[in-house]
Amino acid sequence: MEKGTSSPKTRSISYAKWGYIFILPFFIVYAIFTLYPQLLTVYNSFFEYYRDGLTVVGPNFVGLANYKALFTANSAGYVPIFKFLGNTIWLWVIGALPQFTIAMLLALFFTSTRLNIKGQQFFKTVIYMPNLIMASAFAMLFFALFSQVGPVNQLLVSSGITQQPINFLGMRIYVQSLIGLMNFLMWFGNTTILLMAGIQGIDESLFESARLDGSTSTQVFFNITMPLLMPIFIYVFITSMIGGIQMFDVPQVLTNGHGIPDNTSTTLIMYLNNFLGISKNYGMAGAVSMLLFVITAVLSTFVFKTINKK
Amino acid sequence: MKKLFTAMIALLMVISLAACTSKPAEPTTPTEEPSAEVAEGKVLNVWTWNTEFWDFLGKYYADEVVDEYTLKKGDVTIKRTTYPSDGGAYQDALDAALLNQANAADDEKVDLFLAEADYILKYTNSDATMDVKTIGVTDFSNTYPYTVEAASDANGVVKGVSFQCCPAAVIYRRSIAKDVLGTDDPAEVQAAMSDWDKFNEVAAAAKAKGYYMIPTTNATYRVYSNNATSPWVVDGKLNIDANIEKWMDQSEEYVKNGYTAYTSNIWGDEATSEMFASGKSLCFFGPAWYFNFSMTNAQDPEKGCSGDWAICQGPQAWFWGGTWMLAATGTDNPTMVAEIMNTFINDEKVCDALVVNEAQFSNNQKVNNKYATDPNFGSEFLGGQNPNEVFAELAKNIKFQNVTSYDQLCNEGLQTYFTEYLDGQVATREDAINNFKDYIRTTYPSITVE
Repeated sequence: MEKGTSSPKTRSISYAKWGYIFILPFFIVYAIFTLYPQLLTVYNSFFEYYRDGLTVVGPNFVGLANYKALFTANSAGYVPIFKFLGNTIWLWVIGALPQFTIAMLLALFFTSTRLNIKGQQFFKTVIYMPNLIMASAFAMLFFALFSQVGPVNQLLVSSGITQQPINFLGMRIYVQSLIGLMNFLMWFGNTTILLMAGIQGIDESLFESARLDGSTSTQVFFNITMPLLMPIFIYVFITSMIGGIQMFDVPQVLTNGHGIPDNTSTTLIMYLNNFLGISKNYGMAGAVSMLLFVITAVLSTFVFKTINKK
Repeated sequence: MKKLFTAMIALLMVISLAACTSKPAEPTTPTEEPSAEVAEGKVLNVWTWNTEFWDFLGKYYADEVVDEYTLKKGDVTIKRTTYPSDGGAYQDALDAALLNQANAADDEKVDLFLAEADYILKYTNSDATMDVKTIGVTDFSNTYPYTVEAASDANGVVKGVSFQCCPAAVIYRRSIAKDVLGTDDPAEVQAAMSDWDKFNEVAAAAKAKGYYMIPTTNATYRVYSNNATSPWVVDGKLNIDANIEKWMDQSEEYVKNGYTAYTSNIWGDEATSEMFASGKSLCFFGPAWYFNFSMTNAQDPEKGCSGDWAICQGPQAWFWGGTWMLAATGTDNPTMVAEIMNTFINDEKVCDALVVNEAQFSNNQKVNNKYATDPNFGSEFLGGQNPNEVFAELAKNIKFQNVTSYDQLCNEGLQTYFTEYLDGQVATREDAINNFKDYIRTTYPSITVE
């Protein structure tokens, strides 16, 4: 042992390998828990592979049959996955629009040196609070609140606003609004804090000089804040969009997994989950996952490209 | 030096991983009871989706109730694993456990699990359950034949037993019946609603007095589905029976006429709120377990109305359930599994207690019939009426037929999607059925949906 280490020629020490060794754990974990399942998903999407009762059917290679089935019209004459894609985007938009608007406003208020709002720490904690609750628990809470015999309806009836209790959880407009509202409530705090961090990163002297030059708040916002905030804004936008495409727990719990009414609140992941229900249909679920991957990649690239160009 | 260090770390990791997965077998201490020939497991795992049977197990079989999830019998610990039934979550978890049964440590193996009529075939027709005659459950002479038939596989091998028999009835509010029909006597109420046409007439009369006939359109669903003449799946294809169509007709009419309080799920807050004294619904539908276990709102000491209820056969004979105990293949406690099964079907003291204390209609004909003719026996909840008198008569005609292993989700799904039509959220009945078909197509790849 002594001999091996005392060779005078190899005295120069390479620190590079330590870099690799330190990042190695991440790559091992990534390969086992992310890369391998991803590749398995792609692989499974070409197989007929599910359970019928306690009997496992397959895996039998079926080529592109799962993808074909995915794009086959149902008895009502439409392709289910397109409808669910539309639902997913719509449900994300109605939650994300108010989310970005309110978050941006709050971020501007909180960072404004002119307003200098007191008790910021308190407000930041409060608006972040809903995000700490598990989405499914949050949905469960709304489920109980808005049932036909729940407190909201009791309030509406006793105050005479409605004669009959409203079937909030059975009607499209209410179900979708509730999903949007919940997603908004859960995420606007998070977005506010990210945008605040972005705004605080902008050099304060720019705002000052703009003000000295007599520009209005609107001008400051559109000509200084927004352009410099763009990288953070794109990040927030894309993560929100990816989160939106993966929307699952809120509509799943609120509609008991059925996307009621008329499948108008069934999202892509709920559809995926239905395949993985009692039949553990890995083939079809794999095909849906692949499609989701493609959609996410395309949308992200598109958004990134268009916003970055400006 | 470094290599040695790395090797040691690696070894340590492997050991700690292995320690997590394989527990060394605990040394088996010889049991005190002389009857036990072979040393059996010290843990009995029971799988359930609610606490109905578990409570009985604690009261009438175990020596000690340790906590909500643990019982003691001798030196064996009985553990409960529970998943909700809704949406197939229970089946899902149970399937995973049964498929892993061979690899599970003895104390982790499923020993006894419960199953409902809606999917019992899935388990009886598989190797996951075993012939209970081989473990010592042989005397079915007192049980109701349909309960044995339901727990048998295609070759007639019995895989489990039920602790209850489930002929079902109309459970009506006495005070509302008096107001609407002028009587709350079960015989007269039965005469007034002995078929669906008469039932509809009563519904109109109830409406006129400001009441609802049923709490939700889904309340009558099981009566129709249980009287279906064909199963949900015929030759691998989804099949909607004509009787299910009849239920749709009725539901549509009831919503149109305002005969129903809600269109919601029968287990939901809306329908169950109608069980309170403030409820305006005349008829609930269900067997003994429904009014003694599921109608907790009616039994509520403050807001409930215990004693204001009675039962009669209603417009059509039917049954609903109940719950079977099945012996899991690979159990390390076969003696205790058999003992539990025998206790709940053949121990007359226990069956007696189920009938008297728990308002169950037990799976022991002798005991049930004894109370059916006992003039001093009556249920407090039913205002003194003797439920066994009604159920003993209805139990004679139960036939276990047109059943598939897919029934639970077919039944749940159809009600869910048809309700959307009743709520005016899909334009036509056909749209609702198409949504249901989509659901089945996604849920069960093995069923062909046209």
